[in-house]
Amino acid sequence: MIQAMKKVTILCFALLTMTALTAKAGELNLSVAASLKEVINELSASYTATHPGTVFLKNFGPSGTLAGQIENGGPADLFIAANTEWMDYLNNKKLVEASTIKTFAYNSLVFTGTTNKKVQSIKYLPKLDKIGIGSPKSVPAGEYATAAITKAGIASQLTNKLVMAKDVRECLMYAELGEVDGSFVYKTDALLAKKSKLLFTVPQALYPRVVYPMALTNKAAQNSDAKAFIAYLQGKEAKSVLTKYGFILK
Amino acid sequence: MQMTPEDITAIWLSLKVALSATALSLPFGFAVAWLLVFKTLRGKVVLEVLVNLPLTLPPVVIGYFLLLLFGKNGWAGKLLAEWGIELIFTWKAAVIASAVVGFPLLVRSIRLGMESIDRQLVDASRSLGASWHDSLFTIILPLSLRGIFAGASLMFARSLGEFGATIIIAGNIPGRTQTIPLAIYDYASSPSGSAMALSLCLVSVIISVAVLLLHEMLGKQLQRSTDQ
Repeated sequence: MIQAMKKVTILCFALLTMTALTAKAGELNLSVAASLKEVINELSASYTATHPGTVFLKNFGPSGTLAGQIENGGPADLFIAANTEWMDYLNNKKLVEASTIKTFAYNSLVFTGTTNKKVQSIKYLPKLDKIGIGSPKSVPAGEYATAAITKAGIASQLTNKLVMAKDVRECLMYAELGEVDGSFVYKTDALLAKKSKLLFTVPQALYPRVVYPMALTNKAAQNSDAKAFIAYLQGKEAKSVLTKYGFILK
Repeated sequence: MQMTPEDITAIWLSLKVALSATALSLPFGFAVAWLLVFKTLRGKVVLEVLVNLPLTLPPVVIGYFLLLLFGKNGWAGKLLAEWGIELIFTWKAAVIASAVVGFPLLVRSIRLGMESIDRQLVDASRSLGASWHDSLFTIILPLSLRGIFAGASLMFARSLGEFGATIIIAGNIPGRTQTIPLAIYDYASSPSGSAMALSLCLVSVIISVAVLLLHEMLGKQLQRSTDQ
């Protein structure tokens, strides 16, 4: 019995070390902000079609979580964040290669919902009952939305109307189900909605630009596959896919 | 230790939600455990599976179901709206989430307590003329107190940690629906928040250890008193 258990343990260890060592050439680990999921899936698929030797392992999540994983040694060759804050954070810790930091795309903030009330601009928001917004401490979209309502001078009128969600997609879900009159989300999320209508676009003057920076991590800086892919992400094909999903290029 | 007034509210809110969820579930938990142990029912397996389902379902799934049920278009939500009760995005929604997620733990413990009761005591009371509710409240209830207490403290502890279902139906509104786990989630996703996150983690560990210690101590005490 004990003999058998020992054998099983050794086998488990062997399997574990094997899987740990299988990260071989041609395999690229991507850590990408969740809002870029559809874009990166499409781009990596068409890249593999012309470069069959490259295999992608994709990790989608909130930028902060991804940065934390990279900081703690998680495997990542390319990092695309949904704000500059987390890219700067990793850059300050010398975990990304500074010379490879580029802007992948921009996004814009909109207000979307299923309400029948008249909502043509940000000035109409105090007339609504419930407004979905990403939690400003942890969700960049919520931070931008807070900046916008503060700058528009309506923050105090909205204090008890804001429903804070854990991410943009949850905001969108609340809007779709009609639990809130409308939600602040990115234009790219609003385009994925089935029921809610895009009610207005938040004027860019009211909030800082939504930037998606990308960079190679330290250990991937000399990896030719990684370099080739980040070049591809700045090319024509990437631009047309980004536009298709509602991202802004300039 | 760094803490904002909102964090203090989050701590109180967590305790309030966990206590309310446990208190709300106790009578139902006791009734369901009694049905499962002492009654022969058709389709008992179905009841058993239903009761235990929240233990294995991802809390996010439970949260989403509850949102559909208690939301504007759900039948329970419509019913409550007629009575003027608003549930979604309030602390009451957090209570419902915790109650559903912790319910199986409560029932399992009470059940274990009831199963250890000597059946002959119950049968004897009935043969001596006690009605079913007489023997329920004078024999079964006192003899399963240990299980009830163990279940309630476990459920309380589980409720303190509820995250997945809560964040969906109660949202993450500081000062109103933000409990300790939700506040930690907020801090942990920002580079500047790690000190604040750790302070709240510490509070969370202290409360959990205290509840579990109480659970062990009172469990032993009750055992001693029933052994005598």
